[in-house]
Amino acid sequence: MSALLALDRVTKRFGGLTAVRGVSLEVHAGDLLGIIGPNGAGKTTLFNVISGTYAPDEGRVVLDGHDVTGLPPHAICRLGLTRTFQIVKPFGNLSVLDNVTIGSLARVTSVRAARVDAERVIETCGLAPYAATRARALPIGLRKRLEVARALATRPRLLLLDEVMAGLTPSELGGIVDLVRRLHAEGLTLIVIEHIMAAMMRLAQRIAVLHHGELIAEGPPAVVAADRRVVDAYLGEEFVLAEA
Amino acid sequence: MSLLRRRHAAAIAIFGLAALAPLAVHDAFLLHTVVEILLWGALAAAWNVASGYAGQVSLGHAAFFGIGAYSAALFGTRFQQSPWLGMLAGVVVSVGAGAVIGYLSNRLRGPYFALSTIAFSQVLLVVASRWRGFTAGSEGIPVPFRPGLWSLGLGHVAWVYLALAVAVLYYLLQVYLDRSRVGYQLAGVREDEDAAEALGIASRRLKVLAVVLSAALTAVCGSLWAQFVGFVDPFYVFSVDLSVRFALMTIIGGAATAVGPFLGSILITSLETYLRATFSGVKTGFTGIYLVIYGTALILVVRFVPEGLAGLAGRVRARRRRRPQPAVAGARQ
Repeated sequence: MSALLALDRVTKRFGGLTAVRGVSLEVHAGDLLGIIGPNGAGKTTLFNVISGTYAPDEGRVVLDGHDVTGLPPHAICRLGLTRTFQIVKPFGNLSVLDNVTIGSLARVTSVRAARVDAERVIETCGLAPYAATRARALPIGLRKRLEVARALATRPRLLLLDEVMAGLTPSELGGIVDLVRRLHAEGLTLIVIEHIMAAMMRLAQRIAVLHHGELIAEGPPAVVAADRRVVDAYLGEEFVLAEA
Repeated sequence: MSLLRRRHAAAIAIFGLAALAPLAVHDAFLLHTVVEILLWGALAAAWNVASGYAGQVSLGHAAFFGIGAYSAALFGTRFQQSPWLGMLAGVVVSVGAGAVIGYLSNRLRGPYFALSTIAFSQVLLVVASRWRGFTAGSEGIPVPFRPGLWSLGLGHVAWVYLALAVAVLYYLLQVYLDRSRVGYQLAGVREDEDAAEALGIASRRLKVLAVVLSAALTAVCGSLWAQFVGFVDPFYVFSVDLSVRFALMTIIGGAATAVGPFLGSILITSLETYLRATFSGVKTGFTGIYLVIYGTALILVVRFVPEGLAGLAGRVRARRRRRPQPAVAGARQ
């Protein structure tokens, strides 16, 4: 089976700093891949390269057989890959419904049909009571949800979630974990960046670990958590002891 | 139907009154003011397309206004051609200039973009005021009055209806931007360009298109204005004052709303006309009073009704309906 997304030795440098170095990864349809690593490991940069915000200095990004290396984000979104932002970027002065409608308009040309579509997505994401609320009036937990809803409305085949669980209260966290799980069960392929290891261990089928821009481990959660380099670079001894 | 009427009530009232004005009033000064209100409103609407709807705030729109004004005047005086052809030329040049400015908006964001538009209009001012052989330099160009529609030598009544037609057209264009797919996408670009891109919106192309359209609309009104006033002075048509005026009228009336630019124009134009008429005898001390009033009006609006007069009307209506808003616990700004 050919991969839905294939990264081939992707490198991205900023001046003298190599943020992502020679990363190769494959994601197949139906996967839920987690990406972890310390701050500054290059996780978000990798997302930026995949989604088209940055063109890589070396290597290729192939989406479902199309070489999308260097394409702008809007073109990549049209091909079925979109992402959320770690620092949420709601359309602050617009209502939640309008925010999501803009996402739907990537697939639907009629505004009326897009609004109907957006209402359905809002319902799925549990934002229905806030449809008429201005996005900037939402608390952070709901803004993260809006970020997911808006991306979903573009009907992606592959969705990249950048720390949608960070900074949430335990109940908000539970809600969004359920949402991600439900989307995955419905057949969506996801790549998830997260720092919350407990959530990640339960959620992801596979975990990739970045350190100093390099992929240092990849595999099922249990295997990765036991990997010596991962423990040294990121998890620390206490995590291993706690898990055991 | 009733929904349609309510949503457009303000616009229907404004344009209806303007249409009736020539039937009710025969005073040339009043009709002149009506034409000014409509033309300035249309110019503010043109500015609104790039700066309100697309969020690319320009403080150099006088450049496109001046291009339109000079094109009409030069076609009439130098080539003995109809100002309509001049208008067409002005639109073509403005589309080119707008494409360059629009492209800049992809490199420069926010205040840097606004500054570059000012610089652009100032460059045109220097060209127009120094290129004596072609533009008559700083003396400006008196536009000859040749009666007829083709030569745009019209009476006040005809001017009212011509300006009204343009104003209604620009209003409808903005209504389209309120409702259509491209309007939603422009709102996305205005609010957050990176997010818009990630949602499949070709933000760069869209911004350039908005600026180009806005430039062309501005040039059309510049040509009409030159014919209406009968004189083109480079230090006026390319002035920063003029660019600020477009911005001010739109912001006071309500940016990114269809009726806002016209509300702003009514307020500013009538205020200025009144002040000019009242204080015209007093040469000392009061000549700049309208600037003080501009400034005060802007401060009041930004402080109390940041969404402009159009937003104020909407707020009053919402309060009357008392639609319950869902409470959001712990909402932060």
